[in-house]
Amino acid sequence: MTTLVLTVRETLRYRGAIGQWSWVLHRLTGVGVVMFLALHVIDTSWAVFYPDLYVKAIAAYQSPIFTIGEFGLVFAVVYHAFNGIRIVIFDYKPELWRHQSQAAVAVLILTLIVLAPVFLGMAGHVVDFYFVEHAIAGDRVMDVVVFSIIEQLPFVAGFIGALVAAIVLAAVFSMVRGDGGASARSKYPQASPVERFWWAFMRLSGILIVPLVFVHLALMHVVQGVFDITAAQQVAGTLQVNGTIGAVPTAVEFVYHRWTYTAWGVYVWRVFDLFLLVLVTLHGFNGLRYVLTDYTSFNPFIRRISVSLCTVIGAVLLVVGGASLLLPIEKDIVNEALAATAEIYELRGEEIPAALEAYLAGDDDGGGSD
Amino acid sequence: MDVTFKIRRQNPEVPGKEKPYWQEFVLADVDPTDRILEMLHRIKWEQDGTLSLRRSCAHGVCGSDAMRINGVNRLACKMLVKDVGERVQVEPILGLPVIKDLIVDMEPFFDHYKQVMPFFVNDDPAPADGRERLQTQADRELFDDSTKCILCACCTTSCPSFWANGHYVGPAAIVGAHRFIFDTRDQAGNERLDILSEPNGVWRCRTIFNCTPACPRDIEVTKAIGEVKLAIRKGSTDGVIQPHQVG
Repeated sequence: MTTLVLTVRETLRYRGAIGQWSWVLHRLTGVGVVMFLALHVIDTSWAVFYPDLYVKAIAAYQSPIFTIGEFGLVFAVVYHAFNGIRIVIFDYKPELWRHQSQAAVAVLILTLIVLAPVFLGMAGHVVDFYFVEHAIAGDRVMDVVVFSIIEQLPFVAGFIGALVAAIVLAAVFSMVRGDGGASARSKYPQASPVERFWWAFMRLSGILIVPLVFVHLALMHVVQGVFDITAAQQVAGTLQVNGTIGAVPTAVEFVYHRWTYTAWGVYVWRVFDLFLLVLVTLHGFNGLRYVLTDYTSFNPFIRRISVSLCTVIGAVLLVVGGASLLLPIEKDIVNEALAATAEIYELRGEEIPAALEAYLAGDDDGGGSD
Repeated sequence: MDVTFKIRRQNPEVPGKEKPYWQEFVLADVDPTDRILEMLHRIKWEQDGTLSLRRSCAHGVCGSDAMRINGVNRLACKMLVKDVGERVQVEPILGLPVIKDLIVDMEPFFDHYKQVMPFFVNDDPAPADGRERLQTQADRELFDDSTKCILCACCTTSCPSFWANGHYVGPAAIVGAHRFIFDTRDQAGNERLDILSEPNGVWRCRTIFNCTPACPRDIEVTKAIGEVKLAIRKGSTDGVIQPHQVG
């Protein structure tokens, strides 16, 4: 902890050139994106496994605090992508180093140029949602915020679970391996093909992720933001319209349309999302491992807990996210989401659409929500 | 002109001064072309004899007076007052234990340097004439830049990765290794590449570029580290430095 405090304080005090600030931003944006990634993968897998929870999670994301977070997320992804490309260039062409500070400025300018229209588009969705499509009562906005925080609380429990698992793993590993190999060092430290692999993987995966994540962001956050995921619109990247299966459009139906859409006999979005999931999870959690191990080098046990934590959470995301993408999807999930949708309408103080009310009244397995 | 010096001080031997604190000194009749080192001497000789600093040649060759001057690592003997202005902040370089005032313990730094085998290895018999092992000018150029290092630690102690993790071998040691790795006459290059591919070797470098402007000898430090990384990736130094990039 002292190392972290010292490093943060001295990074602010040292008058490094722009490269230092690029690095600071790269770390902050990277850690921010990774934290969102954990929420996002688990939440999205709920669309398949627990449709009612997914509806509530999306409602939480449509609340004001997460709206601000989404703007931050898009900034973080865009900056991290451009600066990552800058780092890859100077790592593979070190002789170009004289241009690094111009490149750092270029990254900032490029980020702003890209973000200006993107933020305008996103703001348009927010305005449409709050002032045109929905009439959320003013006094209910805080309720929605509180609700959204409570909805995401299970992640704290999940994180504590992962931390406990990481501590146990680290302890077991310590018993097997002793003090971490520090005393096992012979004349020279051991060469590690592992770190050499990860160094190259971070750069290759980073480059591969850029087009994937930009397409994903454009479709899911700009063309159709989180606010359109519950709107009666054609689902971006498919030919289906949300709300044609269930009584009203739902986030679950949105996911259903994407993941059952086929072109040339291939589930294009499932394949796309699978590539994105694997690359981003490995890139993100190895990056987190870099950050955590940088600041925990003073204590081998805490360092090992950090590594285990990244491994555990990364593995959980790959398994859960992978399962949601690879297992067959039942059409039933669309109707399972409707009861929860009615709850959201009540919470926001909005009138429940007649179609939804009629469906719930005549439905025998969608009740029990009151 | 008058110049105010704000100096970070610490003396573990004197009760009440064990913790670092700032002390200000005002110097009169300062010439803009005076060097910071001379000003520190004046403070020590005219105002406070307990001020401790390390210096030897005082002409930018020995590398013993590295310190953080107005927020960046510099050699006090190479900085002029006009380069830093009328308010000068001086503190020890960061990441090495402070012994007293501006003097830090350089041993951990030298230990990292020793790890990379900073000496020429060639077990072949010497040439028949008993003189030098010759090489082409182009081959000599490959490591010309990294021969300039004076081990002042300005680069290593400007590196956020090193601040966070003192086990990281650091820029200076990598430059030291670069000097022999890219020497075509040396035979231990692969061994050094192995040493530097250890988790606390070159991979802790995050390409932050603080080291390059910190170098008082204008060594292209980040470039040298990058070349070592690429050599480790390729498993060889062949083609890592293109001839036309030299110079």
